[in-house]
Amino acid sequence: MNKEVPSGVARRSGDPIIVARDLRKRYDGIQAVDGVSFEVYPGEVFGMLGPNGAGKTTTVEMLEGMRYPDSGTALINSIDVTREPMRVKRIIGVQLQANAFFDRLTLSELLKLFGTLYGHRVVAADLLERVGLGDRGKSQFIRLSGGQKQRFSIAAALVNEPVAMFLDEPSTGLDPQARLNMWDLIKGLQADGTTVVLTTHYMEEAEELCDRVAIVDSGRIVALDTPPALVAGLLETGFRNERPTREATLEDVFINITGRALRDE
Amino acid sequence: MRVALSLTVASLKMYFRNRQAIFFSLFIPLLIMVIFGLLDFDRFSGAQVGVVDEAGNEASAAVILGLSNRDDDLMDVELGTLAEETERLQDGEIDAMFVIPANFAEPGGPVTLSATTDERSPQRAALAITLLGQSIGSLGRQITSTADGADPPSAADGPPSFGTIFQSTLQGDDRSYTAFLVPGIAAMSIMQLGIFSVVFALVQFRQQGVLRRLKAAPLNPAQFLFAQISTRLSISVLQTLILLLAGMILFDLAVGNGDVLSWILVMALAVFGGILFVTMGLAISGVARTEEVAAPVTNLISMPMMFLSGVFFPLDALPGVVTIVTQFLPLTFLADAIRAVVTDGAGISDIWSELAGLAVWTAVVFAAATRLFRWE
Repeated sequence: MNKEVPSGVARRSGDPIIVARDLRKRYDGIQAVDGVSFEVYPGEVFGMLGPNGAGKTTTVEMLEGMRYPDSGTALINSIDVTREPMRVKRIIGVQLQANAFFDRLTLSELLKLFGTLYGHRVVAADLLERVGLGDRGKSQFIRLSGGQKQRFSIAAALVNEPVAMFLDEPSTGLDPQARLNMWDLIKGLQADGTTVVLTTHYMEEAEELCDRVAIVDSGRIVALDTPPALVAGLLETGFRNERPTREATLEDVFINITGRALRDE
Repeated sequence: MRVALSLTVASLKMYFRNRQAIFFSLFIPLLIMVIFGLLDFDRFSGAQVGVVDEAGNEASAAVILGLSNRDDDLMDVELGTLAEETERLQDGEIDAMFVIPANFAEPGGPVTLSATTDERSPQRAALAITLLGQSIGSLGRQITSTADGADPPSAADGPPSFGTIFQSTLQGDDRSYTAFLVPGIAAMSIMQLGIFSVVFALVQFRQQGVLRRLKAAPLNPAQFLFAQISTRLSISVLQTLILLLAGMILFDLAVGNGDVLSWILVMALAVFGGILFVTMGLAISGVARTEEVAAPVTNLISMPMMFLSGVFFPLDALPGVVTIVTQFLPLTFLADAIRAVVTDGAGISDIWSELAGLAVWTAVVFAAATRLFRWE
């Protein structure tokens, strides 16, 4: 195994760390991705929003080296993903939509195993601590709750100290407490300077976490800007929210009554 | 290599933490072996006798009739040539061989018979000789009474008296039922482990999405497959060892000539057969994408081999037409090779045809697996 640890090499602000240029992918007779281009800069949390089947996941998978684009270019840290998928996989962190790990291995064993796959020595306890699973090192993945599973899969994505992380719907299916906890985790990654590409269909999540968002529909990016700019753009067209602006939401009520503390451990 | 090794260690851990897997792949074959071995189907049958009738006259027909036309089931008689029956005796298929010489009991002809018995089944051999003596005794009384006044064959002047049986024993090969069964069970469990554990592990990994997660890692598929195969091979070798040791302890099985070489050869066959069947499992897992499909498909492939490859009973028990096909089954090659090494102390040169058969199958299955296997 050749050990390349290029982390930090291209982290000059100004040079994009992720480049998607006119990516296209067609399968099962559907143009899933129809010319998607964007750039993500170091330290940025970049959101991809869109309804189911919009092409978010396919786009992300082409950047991760999981799928070959029909045409277009995907670059991570200036490495062409199509030409050198292994080199790219080595420097990125990936959390898939449906995360699964080997049964019958403990979390510590899994993290060490993944470390070996990436050619990195891993201190499992530290990684688990970082995602709030410090006391679960001897548990098995299947014994974890939904939120813990998602947090563990982020720990597994961190074994190689990635230059960029791809999180595919990390908070889908989580209860409000677990989702808030996940948000804190992602904010922590951002604070550490990690570049994150995040797909979601929760607008609130995008607004809370993302520096910029791309709205994807039918395989194309239909809007791309910072959340405030997108909102301002809409208001400029004369749009007014029908509903009265409220000081609190139902979610605030829920969290206020049930508390922020995680319920899954 | 480090990656492949870590994956191997990880999947060995997973295997040994899976009680069910251990039960089904290590314990069940052992249990089957013990049950079938203790039943020892041989013990309940009477004496198996092969008769070589070189006389073909009235007297020999009378002897044979006396032997085969019994009310009890104490003896099973079959006729054959000297060469055929000698081989059957050597293979332990019959307990005794009687030879009725040409011109038997004819004027001037010989009046003695020879009986060769297998010294591994002394009781049944003794039974056979006793029954032969009875049969000849009544024949002798008939002859003396009808041929009254004629020259009594073999008077007291030296030549053997009528119906004398010349006995000799022959050290047959170790073909007791357990000596047949244990190598067969060993071969069967190599097949079961290879096919079942690979198919179900991979189908599960694929359905859960574990394979997708591995695909996202900088992992060469070959490393992953290497780990899958090497894990199974280690377990195969371990399992073969356990079965043979159990055979030695419970059934006095001798492995080869008791030398290390035979053990090494058996272990090598466990690895060789393991490679073949694990590859077969990989190929099947490419076709059977869900557990619902995997279960019947794996059974469809392994069940016929289990019963038609000479695991529980010899192939010649099957109709001849069937054996034309079954002798070429991969499990037949493996079972025959392991059995040859264990019971006959065969060396590599003695089992080259089985090895060639296994090699051809491995090549075919490998080609199929590379075409059929998919990550997703």
